[in-house]
Amino acid sequence: MAHIMLKKLKVPANSGSLEEARSRTFEFFRMCCRSIPHIMEIYNLYDVVTPSQLRSAAAAEVRKNSNVTNPKVIDMLLFKGTEELMNIVNQSKQRHHIVGQYVVGNQGLVQDLAAKDQDTSNFLKNFYGSNYS
Amino acid sequence: MGLGLLASRTLRSSSRIFHNNGPTTHFLRTITSTPDLNNADASASAVQQPDLPPRNPVGGARVHFPNPEDAIEVFVDGYPVKIPKGMTVLQACEVAGVDIPRFCYHSRLSIAGNCRMCLVEVEKSPKPVASCAMPALPGMKIKTDTPIAKKAREGVMEFLLMNHPLDCPICDQGGECDLQDQSMAFGSDRGRFTEMKRSVVDKNLGPLVKTVMTRCIQCTRCVRFASEVAGVEDLGMLGRGSGEEIGTYVEKLMTSELSGNVIDICPVGALTSKPFAFKARNWELKGTESIDVTDAVGSNIRIDSRGPEVMRVVPRLNEDINEEWISDKTRFFYDGLKRQRLNDPMLRGPDGRFKAVTWRDALAIVAEVMHQIKPEEIVGVAGKLSDAESMMALKDLLNKMGSNNIFCEGNGMHPNADLRSGYIMNTGISGLEKADAFLLVGTQPRVEAAMVNARIRKTVKATNAKVGYVGPAADFNYDHRHLGTDPKTLVEIAEGRHPFSSALKNAKNPVIIVGAGVFEREDKDAVFAAVETIGKNNNVVRPDWNGLNVLLLNGAQAAALDLGLVPESDKCIESAKFVYLMGADDVSLDKLPDDAFVVYQGHHGDRGVYRANVILPASAFTEKEGIYENTEGCAQITLPAVPTVGDARDDWKIIRALSEVAGVGLPYDSLGAIRSRIRTVAPNLLELDERQPATFSTSLRPEVSQKVSETPFTPAVENFYMTDAITRASKIMAQCSALLRK
Repeated sequence: MAHIMLKKLKVPANSGSLEEARSRTFEFFRMCCRSIPHIMEIYNLYDVVTPSQLRSAAAAEVRKNSNVTNPKVIDMLLFKGTEELMNIVNQSKQRHHIVGQYVVGNQGLVQDLAAKDQDTSNFLKNFYGSNYS
Repeated sequence: MGLGLLASRTLRSSSRIFHNNGPTTHFLRTITSTPDLNNADASASAVQQPDLPPRNPVGGARVHFPNPEDAIEVFVDGYPVKIPKGMTVLQACEVAGVDIPRFCYHSRLSIAGNCRMCLVEVEKSPKPVASCAMPALPGMKIKTDTPIAKKAREGVMEFLLMNHPLDCPICDQGGECDLQDQSMAFGSDRGRFTEMKRSVVDKNLGPLVKTVMTRCIQCTRCVRFASEVAGVEDLGMLGRGSGEEIGTYVEKLMTSELSGNVIDICPVGALTSKPFAFKARNWELKGTESIDVTDAVGSNIRIDSRGPEVMRVVPRLNEDINEEWISDKTRFFYDGLKRQRLNDPMLRGPDGRFKAVTWRDALAIVAEVMHQIKPEEIVGVAGKLSDAESMMALKDLLNKMGSNNIFCEGNGMHPNADLRSGYIMNTGISGLEKADAFLLVGTQPRVEAAMVNARIRKTVKATNAKVGYVGPAADFNYDHRHLGTDPKTLVEIAEGRHPFSSALKNAKNPVIIVGAGVFEREDKDAVFAAVETIGKNNNVVRPDWNGLNVLLLNGAQAAALDLGLVPESDKCIESAKFVYLMGADDVSLDKLPDDAFVVYQGHHGDRGVYRANVILPASAFTEKEGIYENTEGCAQITLPAVPTVGDARDDWKIIRALSEVAGVGLPYDSLGAIRSRIRTVAPNLLELDERQPATFSTSLRPEVSQKVSETPFTPAVENFYMTDAITRASKIMAQCSALLRK
């Protein structure tokens, strides 16, 4: 089981090259994917999210840093990702953490999907957002 | 004296010069001073030493020599300093870059010389002298750092602290206390105090100044301030010796509009701010240098804030505008910024109650209504606290909608915006000090612009200038002659039939000040024509002197006229179907048709909101960056000190957003862009902190056939403490109005 492996996880040595870091990233993502069924189980997420949605959430988190090319930085990000995954799998978090971070996401509960702001300027979009932008 | 001795002396002094570039300088000077100083030659040669590092005057002070022959030279700690005759020893030391400790001396007040903290040693004087009261004499050798001076200060400090309570931890002055600082620097490290400390009964000076009289060190700065600057003989010194105390003799409040300044000049915590008491410590406050907008003076202030809250307002030094004083309204209105604030866009429902809506909905409704109304029925009114940027945006928006009915409240319906000299103070506020005769027309400067009044009082006190006043009975704190109450008096003066015209005629620099309350009069043009005739007959306007002044009332007025906020029709309110109030609360909406749609954009739920259909919350001047022009034509900028309240937005942003929603997008979306738009209209508004005088005098005005009416002038400001939305929301200002108004 993936989560049992995870518990024994050690921080690996630094990646020697970008290639090595890249392969480690994929390995990390696969590990995430493998632990998703267990996460669904322990946090009882069946009624709010599907495994594939969680997978896309995890992929989005990885893609957020797709511009990073420094292997050292990638190693650091992998370490933080592993730590986060460990916290989730060990149930150091609670259900609302998972729901808030990976199910609802940054947009918040109210998702304005209306098309009315489509042709407005950046100024107006910022204006609706806040006074300071 | 033998040759050998002379030779050895020369040798010694040269060797001193040789050794003198190190830390030993001080040591040598202290130890060998006495034998050297008894010998005039040697001390002179010591003075000539080039070893001393150059020093700069305290606070970057510069010396002005009115007459170059009167320059004298004194020596401060060995530095030769050139100063004009008549300066005191303390001022000479400041020029030499030595800051002398002091309690009673204040550069803007008369000299008392009673604290004895500024004692310095002067050569050939048997005792240390009080430097603040001793005039500097040519060739005087002043020593500020000798054991005698230090011992004198330590002794004075010990006597002061003998009766000063040890309550610094609960004292509001703690952290910015002169006594605290100077006892750290000059005081003794131990006390010999065994007896009881004296205690003094606290005085009630009103809702603004808190007194803890036991802390008073009898420097008498507040007494001198009250009688010299504020012009009220309220405070005085009672008793003698250890029974000496400051007080009002009989139970009496301090009824000056400048009373808050005694808080700043008090060197200890005896007089502190009552509203600020126990609210914050001065080191946890963030200071933002800004401008006061509650009157047209534009006093320079520092807004001290903690987090999202304005904790207090203190003055900043600006010699041309407010010197270092501010009025009580400026200092204490800030609690109004926390009350009655509008924080959400709101829409009046069919039941007459306001309902909070989103910005999107609010702007969409306003834009829709605006398009259904004929352009000439759209009216915009800028409020008295508006900044230049938002007024520019409002004018551009209305012009794009096809309307040109926009004005600023207080300017009247026929403002004269063509000649700038016709609505600003042409002498400048500091220029009033050169005047030797004043004619005040329909203005009570004491309530309309307290800092201008302080300047007039300073002039009257210094030069015995004559003051004539035409207007309703008013309260002055200097000698004046009440000439009449209606404009007929002006005609008499203009025709030379009035006794005061000879005073004006004989004056070298006469000044006429017309109050902005005249703008609202029917016979405004005739009054101004009469004033101009007086000016012409008495040589008020010359190439080197323009004494024809207008004293404005509100912070927005001058900029509004510069930007050309002039209504197309004077009946625009009566025929309006859509009114955009940008913070305008004092404009009369009685004649507005009932079916008119009113948008109120502003920061306080004040008079304008009662009639509004839509409320758009905006930021107050403490929360935004904005240009304001004061009554003398000096543009200054406010800076945001605290964040905006709730969902409010900056004024110009609201108008810019509305323009886009309405489909008439304004071509700027940053402050920089809107300022370059202002540059094309009124470039003087961008010359910050520098007074821009008017180019043409009012003599270019066309002739007026209007006759002055017999209606007496009316007071323009009814209550000094409550003039706008912020001050009307302030609890402290309400207390002041109840207790201090006469």
